[in-house]
Amino acid sequence: MRFWRTALRIAMRDLRIEGRSGEVLLTTIPFGLAALFLIPLALPLDRQLIATVGPGMFWIVTLLFGMFVTFRQSAVESPAQRETLRLLGVDPAARFTGRVITSALLLVVFEAVLAPATVVLYAPEPIDGWPLLAALGIALIGTMAVDVTAGLRGRTSLAPLLVAPLSVPLLMPAASAAAAIRRGDGIVVPALLMGFAVLALAILGVMTAHSLEEASG
Amino acid sequence: MNLRYALTAAALVALAIGFWLAAGTPPDAVQGEYVRIIHVHVPSSWVAFLAFGGTLLGSAGWLITKRARFDHYAAASAELGVFFTALSLLTGMIWGYVTWGIAWDWGDARMSSTALMFFVYLGYLALRRATLNPVDRARRSAILGIVAFVQVPLVYFSVVLFRTLHQTPSITTEGSTMESSTLRAMLFGLFAFTLAYAAFTTWRTRQLIIEAELTATDAEHAGSAVTAPTLGGRP
Repeated sequence: MRFWRTALRIAMRDLRIEGRSGEVLLTTIPFGLAALFLIPLALPLDRQLIATVGPGMFWIVTLLFGMFVTFRQSAVESPAQRETLRLLGVDPAARFTGRVITSALLLVVFEAVLAPATVVLYAPEPIDGWPLLAALGIALIGTMAVDVTAGLRGRTSLAPLLVAPLSVPLLMPAASAAAAIRRGDGIVVPALLMGFAVLALAILGVMTAHSLEEASG
Repeated sequence: MNLRYALTAAALVALAIGFWLAAGTPPDAVQGEYVRIIHVHVPSSWVAFLAFGGTLLGSAGWLITKRARFDHYAAASAELGVFFTALSLLTGMIWGYVTWGIAWDWGDARMSSTALMFFVYLGYLALRRATLNPVDRARRSAILGIVAFVQVPLVYFSVVLFRTLHQTPSITTEGSTMESSTLRAMLFGLFAFTLAYAAFTTWRTRQLIIEAELTATDAEHAGSAVTAPTLGGRP
């Protein structure tokens, strides 16, 4: 119980900081919408083509801008704050979990704004997939990448290099789940894949939290 | 003769025999001589998986024991894994071009996921390069080395889990669909490439250990060159 209480307090703290700074709501979401708006300008004026690529663009923008959402942690938490939490004896695993919860929640908000915008701009069929699981997966990978690259000179380019290829295998079943069901392939394979990947990442994240904290020093 | 030399000699002999066996296999009715690409493609893919497994073990070993040797082994294994993944992708593309008519098929789950695995481990090597402190580097890359392995089973089982152009495993517990001499040559190729992996890894690990020792020695010399400033002219 203490673990979850600490994790929720960390999450509440991060959400309060986000509420004050509005980094995701006021910067990342409008930037993501701008990207959705710009992509059709680079395509031929073919409504069918634009409607076909719409769902794919939703997932691409979710991945690329979702990384920014998770990387904002490195900006909101200074080394001094991390040191204070460590001296206070805050469980690194609970801290990791709390940060993942915050990032996942913010990603869900990001997707909730992006999805209707995609329907309006591209007029696609209803967007396939499981946005909640995708958000959780990106949040887990992003949080680990932030810790692994913390303090490095090339972290702004290195962290996306780590997150993007690791996230795609997660997003592939997430994005194709509904289509697989319609084709009659069933829900078991994508669900198992996503479940396995998210569970493995969550366990690894919690198990390596102590080392991650030392790495992010 | 120490282990490294023995492994290298054994690997060279095994590779030579493997190529001789591959050259002696009959051409395929449909694929013609191009079928021989599998004698490089399949063992390369196998060694890539093996190497990333080695990185996983080395990473876990470092996190448990904090012995630098495990970190060097993980790094050496990742480098080889990236090399053999690239070789596997390249040979697969050549084979795909002559057999399917296209070098790259976006609908193929195995190709796409293998390319992603390649980029993940390139990221691993980039992380190592970006971290200068050896202990810090070992810790960060050990964590990534474990996390990155999560997708290796996904890559391996992608041909079974998804509808894809890539063929499913030709060798199962129920037997093989391959011609006997081709199967024999391919199995020997797997053995030869595994020996080559072992030989390369031992040499590269040794090289990384020497590099680390030299860096430590350099650091000591650089530090010892700094002396306290003297304020001349006053007693």
